[in-house]
Amino acid sequence: MQQEFSKAEKFWMNFKLYQLWRFIVLNIKVYTVAMMSKGK
Amino acid sequence: MAKILIIGAGFAGHTTALYLGSKIGRKHEVTVVSNRDVFSYLPSWVWVGVGHMKPEKTVFKLKPVYDRKNVKFVHAAVKEIHPDAGDQYVLADEVATGKETRLDYDYMVIAPGPLLNFAGTPGLGPENGFTHSICSYPHAIKTRDAYLALCERMKKGEKVKIVIGTGHPMATCQGAAFEYIVNVHKDLVKKGLRDKADILWLSNEPELGDFGVNGVQIKRNGVVQKSDEFIKSVFNDHGIRYQIRAGVTKVEEGKIYWQDYEGEEHVSEFDFAMLIPQFKGQPFKYIGKDGSDVSSKLVNPAGFVLVDAKYGLPYPELANTPEAWPAKYQNPNYPNIFAAGIAFAPPGPISKPFTNKNNVAIAPAPPRTGMVSGEIGRIVALNVIDAVNGREPSHSERMSEMVAACIASMGDNLWDGSAVTIVMRPVVPDRKKYPNEYGRDLFVSHLEMGLSGAWMKFLLHHTFMWKFKARPGWTLIPE
Repeated sequence: MQQEFSKAEKFWMNFKLYQLWRFIVLNIKVYTVAMMSKGK
Repeated sequence: MAKILIIGAGFAGHTTALYLGSKIGRKHEVTVVSNRDVFSYLPSWVWVGVGHMKPEKTVFKLKPVYDRKNVKFVHAAVKEIHPDAGDQYVLADEVATGKETRLDYDYMVIAPGPLLNFAGTPGLGPENGFTHSICSYPHAIKTRDAYLALCERMKKGEKVKIVIGTGHPMATCQGAAFEYIVNVHKDLVKKGLRDKADILWLSNEPELGDFGVNGVQIKRNGVVQKSDEFIKSVFNDHGIRYQIRAGVTKVEEGKIYWQDYEGEEHVSEFDFAMLIPQFKGQPFKYIGKDGSDVSSKLVNPAGFVLVDAKYGLPYPELANTPEAWPAKYQNPNYPNIFAAGIAFAPPGPISKPFTNKNNVAIAPAPPRTGMVSGEIGRIVALNVIDAVNGREPSHSERMSEMVAACIASMGDNLWDGSAVTIVMRPVVPDRKKYPNEYGRDLFVSHLEMGLSGAWMKFLLHHTFMWKFKARPGWTLIPE
């Protein structure tokens, strides 16, 4: 069981370019799932 | 012309008002009555509480928005609801004059937000107790002032004890407390004071990261990851001590008394504590035509409005009955009354409840705030439109079908801040539709921490302030 974040995980959590990619991906994901309920 | 009355202007009530005003406000009379004349964007109060955001940036006046959206606004505190057919009205006291005002209605939406039940825990709260809260606008400001004063003491070399979490065995909103504790940690690190503070997470959750929704589970690289492991990693990384399965029963100056699952009593000392109180329904009087008390037809003993849920199921049965959760949020006895947001009575807890040998029930109540509130507010608005047009309410979304996204701030700085992005489907596990141990869609559900989350949280603040001000394109922004 994971008890602490590894050095690699911490690196990626703060690596700006990678986080910009995640920002785009997460926005699309959150927007897509949130729109699922709009049609109800 | 139908008269539609909405009690409350928070996430749920305000969303309902905007949809109703936009869709039928020109033909029918839509009125919002609220004891606050501003809309408050609660999720950003975690930043207000550490002095990182000016409080006035989280609020705006409601009337100018409602004037544009064909909604009448009454700034008054509701005290009585008269729901019987033929003479349906609400009595409220105007905030400015104290004058009693009568508001007639054909359809009503009850969405006033929670009563913060500080009285449920002796010694809790900023007014008559010793702890702080970020659950209301004045409380968040008071918490900020107390926190900054604490920092001044720490700057002089004093070591302090900080406790953050839940202040009642059945409190909810652990997410807000989690955001606050991590923001406090990050702020103290920035100020170079972290070594002066012992920080404790004290919560009624059965597991870390439960958040009142039985935790969050995701599948990454074929392996199921759970929020308890994740939050444990966060706390270990930040040096935050944690105590879960704790039901706070009493607070005295500098001392929090709590019981564990075994019924043992414990004391945690504090110099500064932010504990979320129990939420209850607003204490309105429900009066029938003959003057009798009809509250049992409208609300449960905690004051939450009864809707189309299946009440009274024991937890093991409820956990396997997703259809027990309400779909239309309509009161069965008064079909022209709906409830939205925290105001509706859930059929029971989502997380596994526990009662210790002293008969203290330690169980997080189901959260119905944020996105869930907004979604229910929209569903209710569409159902009211159906009813006004003589149709049966046709819109439904149970919490056991609902998707919820939550961005939990862990430092607001856009350069080195962080946040956890959480997506879960459904909010209430549905073990029939998703036949895994967790009852969740493990493909859609998501849990990720990083700087991108801090950017998303920042974006959300501004996007939602835009939406709630009903600026152009607001309907394109999801709830």
